[in-house]
Amino acid sequence: MAETRFLKPQKHISQKVRRGGPSMEVAILAAVNAADDLIGQYQGWAVDDLEKLWQSFVDTSRTGRADPAKLKELYDMTHEARGQGGSFGFPLISVVGDSLCKYLDGRPRLKARDLDVVRVHIMAMKAIFRQGLKGHQGGLSKELHQLLGAFRAKVTDQEAG
Amino acid sequence: MNVETNWDIAPAQAGQKSSMSDGYDFSALRVLVVDDSFHMRELVRTFLEGFGIKEVTVSSDAEEAYDLLTSMDPDLVITDWNMAPVSGLEFVESIRKGASVPNRFVPIIMLTGYTEMKRVEEARDAGINSFLAKPISAASLYKRLVTAVQDNRQYVESTGGYFGPDRRSPKRRDFHGKERRGSE
Repeated sequence: MAETRFLKPQKHISQKVRRGGPSMEVAILAAVNAADDLIGQYQGWAVDDLEKLWQSFVDTSRTGRADPAKLKELYDMTHEARGQGGSFGFPLISVVGDSLCKYLDGRPRLKARDLDVVRVHIMAMKAIFRQGLKGHQGGLSKELHQLLGAFRAKVTDQEAG
Repeated sequence: MNVETNWDIAPAQAGQKSSMSDGYDFSALRVLVVDDSFHMRELVRTFLEGFGIKEVTVSSDAEEAYDLLTSMDPDLVITDWNMAPVSGLEFVESIRKGASVPNRFVPIIMLTGYTEMKRVEEARDAGINSFLAKPISAASLYKRLVTAVQDNRQYVESTGGYFGPDRRSPKRRDFHGKERRGSE
């Protein structure tokens, strides 16, 4: 049985924070405005990253379908796209990236059908950029999430059958 | 569990409202941001500076960040998980267990795209204070910052190897006696 000791920190972050600053709304607006240029540049470099993801997919499909290093690289690049898309104003990229991460997670090899699934996801991300689909696009984000979930479930069911 | 809303939002400190409608002046804070993605760390830095924080230091890897910890003694650390060769999780463990770290109690926000419960628990058990799921927004980061300021939890050192914020539910935190747990 482990014994536990409780400690109170000598220093606390609150000691350096005072009241009287801008309201939450003002602070958030200032931060969003400050990040405006950075967010505006996203599509430019993200398209390059997406091309690298596509290349990783092509390499994996040709020579690394069961190569743990290549599969990890493919997963990691998708994982990055998932985290970055919504952060930089393209939540649909995060929706598609999330779906592909879920599909790839734990797969030791990619069969022909899996390659089709990966291809569809990357093509979807390319289409989002091509069309400049920023924001949630009304209900599209939710609809896309549901459609991709159904797509993955169907493929997984076919695999099991 | 909804990781976006934090598993363990601490109660506001005595005399302070838990509402975030009152403004904070964060200008005196020193924050260390660690992320191997240039764009993500620049976004986090820009948001923090937008909140009025004047001293934001960024690092692209955990080894460099560990050195920075000793030289700058930050008030808050925000770290990505998925980094190489040292992961964010290992970085957190090195802070909590490090003998040469000036402040082992420094609040740590784990920034990550991993949102599965297993991952959240792993990060919590490494000693993080809160978890911020990517994609992030200025609003989600601001809320985590306020949570760090209002979090008055004690820290726990267990012979089972854990050092970090008290992981117990708020109800159980009232108990201050000697505690033994079979799981540690």
